[in-house]
Amino acid sequence: MKYRWAILGTAFVTGLFACLCIGRYPIHPAQVIRLLLAGLGMDSAASGSLADPMMIFWNIRVPRVLLAMLAGAGISAAGAVFQALFRNPLAAPDILGVTAGAGFGAALAIMFLVPAALVIQASAFVFGITAVTLAYILASLSRDRSPSVLVISGIVISAMFQAGLSFIMYLANPYDQLAQIIFWTMGSFHTASWAKIQATLPVLVPGITLLVLFSWRLNIMTQGEEDALSLGVPVMRWRIFYVLVSTLMVAAAVAAAGTVAWIGLIVPHIARYLAGPEHTRLIPMSAFLGGFFLMVMDSVARSVMLSEIPISIVTSIFGAPFLGYLVIHAGKARMSHDT
Amino acid sequence: MTLDIQRLSAGYGSTPVISGIHMTAAAGRICAVMGRNGSGKTTLLRCINHVLPPVKGEIRILGQDITRMARHRIAQIISVVPQVNFSPFSFSCRDMVLMAGAARIRPWAAPSRKEQDRALSAMAEVGIDHLASQAFNAISGGERQLVMLARALFQETPIMLLDEPTAHLDFTNQHRIMALMRKLAAKRQMTVIITLHDPNLTCHYCDDVVLIHQGRVAAAGKTSDTLTGEVLARVLGDNIRLDVTAGGVRVAVPARFDSATNRPAHDPADPLTTH
Repeated sequence: MKYRWAILGTAFVTGLFACLCIGRYPIHPAQVIRLLLAGLGMDSAASGSLADPMMIFWNIRVPRVLLAMLAGAGISAAGAVFQALFRNPLAAPDILGVTAGAGFGAALAIMFLVPAALVIQASAFVFGITAVTLAYILASLSRDRSPSVLVISGIVISAMFQAGLSFIMYLANPYDQLAQIIFWTMGSFHTASWAKIQATLPVLVPGITLLVLFSWRLNIMTQGEEDALSLGVPVMRWRIFYVLVSTLMVAAAVAAAGTVAWIGLIVPHIARYLAGPEHTRLIPMSAFLGGFFLMVMDSVARSVMLSEIPISIVTSIFGAPFLGYLVIHAGKARMSHDT
Repeated sequence: MTLDIQRLSAGYGSTPVISGIHMTAAAGRICAVMGRNGSGKTTLLRCINHVLPPVKGEIRILGQDITRMARHRIAQIISVVPQVNFSPFSFSCRDMVLMAGAARIRPWAAPSRKEQDRALSAMAEVGIDHLASQAFNAISGGERQLVMLARALFQETPIMLLDEPTAHLDFTNQHRIMALMRKLAAKRQMTVIITLHDPNLTCHYCDDVVLIHQGRVAAAGKTSDTLTGEVLARVLGDNIRLDVTAGGVRVAVPARFDSATNRPAHDPADPLTTH
C-alpha cells in the first residue's frame, strides 16, 4: 500500500503510452516518442518526414485519448459524489436525469438542427442541465426534503426525456439519422477533436478541482441530513453545490461523447477499495482511475474489431460482471461482520 | 451554559407532538427527559438542536434565541449523540470523530494535524483511542455509541444532547456511559440533556428530570424531589413502583407481582399480556 501511487502512476504512464500506440493505424512506440517530441517542437526533422503520422497522432489519437481521460475522470468523480450525497453505493451520476436529458438534446439536434458535432454537443449539454433543473424543481414542490424525493423526481424526468428520445427515434430517417442517434446513445469518442476538448476542458478541470477541494465535507454529507445539520453543515446549500458541479461535469462529458455506461458506478467502488471511503482520498482516486479506465476502454473499443464498437458496450462488458463480483463480495463481507 | 425553554410547541405537519413545554437545564448538570414511547422526547431534542423548527415558543441560550442562529453557530454550542448509529460507508472511527470539526474547519480544508490530535484525545477521554483505525461499521453497538460520544466531545460544545444513548446497550455499558456522562458534565461544566426510558438510570445519574406525558410537561425539577412513585405511575403507566433498598438506593420495579409465580404481573385488562 505504501507504493500504491507509484504503482498506479507507472500503470497509468504505461497505459497512456500503449493507448497512443494502438488503433486502426498502429504507431510504433519509438515513433510515438518522435511524434511527441516533434509536436512539442523538440524534433524539427521528424515533423517534415512524418507528415501523415503527425496528422493522425496529433489531430485524432491525442485528442481522443485526452477526451476519454477527461470524460472518465469527470464522470467517475461525479459518481463518487452522487453515491455520497444519496448515501447509496449504487447511485450513478445520471440518477437525476442528466443522461436522458442529454440524449434527448442530442437526438433533437441530429433530427431538427444542424447535425454538426458542436451543435449536438451544445444541445445535449443544455438539455442535460434542463433535465436536472426540472428534477430539482419537481422535488422542491414536495414537502419531503429527503434525498429519495430527489431520486424519484430524477426517475420521473428521466422517463419523460426517454419517451421524447424514443419518439424522435421513431420519427428519424432509418438510413442516416436513426443510426447516428443510436450510435450517440451508446457513446463513442470517434468524433473527438481539439475543439471538443476546448469545449469540455473549461467545465471538467475546474469541476474536478472544486470537488477535490471540497471533498472532506462529503464525509459529513453521507451521515444524513439531521446528523450533518447537527455537525454544523447547511445541508441544502451544500447538496445544491455538489449536484450542480457534478451535473455540469457529467453533462459536459456526455455532450462530448454520448452515453458512457457503468463508469460512474463502478469506478468509485474500485477507488473505495484502493483508497478507502474517506472522500479526500476517494475523489482524487476516482478521477484518476476513471480517466485511466475510460482511456483503456476506448482503446479496446477502437482496436478489437475492424469497425468501432460503441463505448457503452465495452464498458458494460467489463462493468456488469465487476458489479456482480462486488455484490457477491460485499455480501460475503457483510455476513462475516454479522457473525 | 443555561438552556431555557419557554412555551415550546412543535410537531410534524398539522399534528402537534409537544406543546407548552417549559424547562431549564443548567451547566455541569445532567437533565433527563423521560416519557413513554411517542410522548415527544426526541421531538423536544430535535427542536433544541433546531433541526425541527418550533411552531411556538422560544429556546434561549445566554439570552439568545437559537432559532435565529446560523447552523455552524448552533453546532458550536450544541452537540448531539444520535439514537441510530450506522454509516452507509464504513469510515474509520477516527474519521467519524473528525466530522465533528466541521463547524471549526474551513469548507475547502481538511482537518489539520492539530485537529486530528484533538480528535484522538476525545477518543482517549472515552477510552476508545485503540479503535481509531477500525471500521465504524465493524465494531459493536456499544463501541459505536462511545465513538458517537467521542465525536460529540470533539465538537467541544457547552451543551450536549443524547437521544437514548443506553438503548441497545448491555447492563455494564449502560452504566459505563452514564457514569462517563456524569464525569464529563462535572469536568467540562457541560449542560447535558439526555432522553432515557429507565427510571433507575435517571435516579442514579441525573441531577434533574423532566417527565413528558402526551406532549406536555407532567413534572419537572430535581430528580430526588420529582421522581416519586406516584409521578412515575402517572407518566409511565401504573405498573411501576419506586422502592427504597436497605442502603437507601431508590429502585423502580414492576408494581404488580404474581404471588403464585413470583414474576411481574401485568394489567389483567391488557389483551397483549393476558393468556
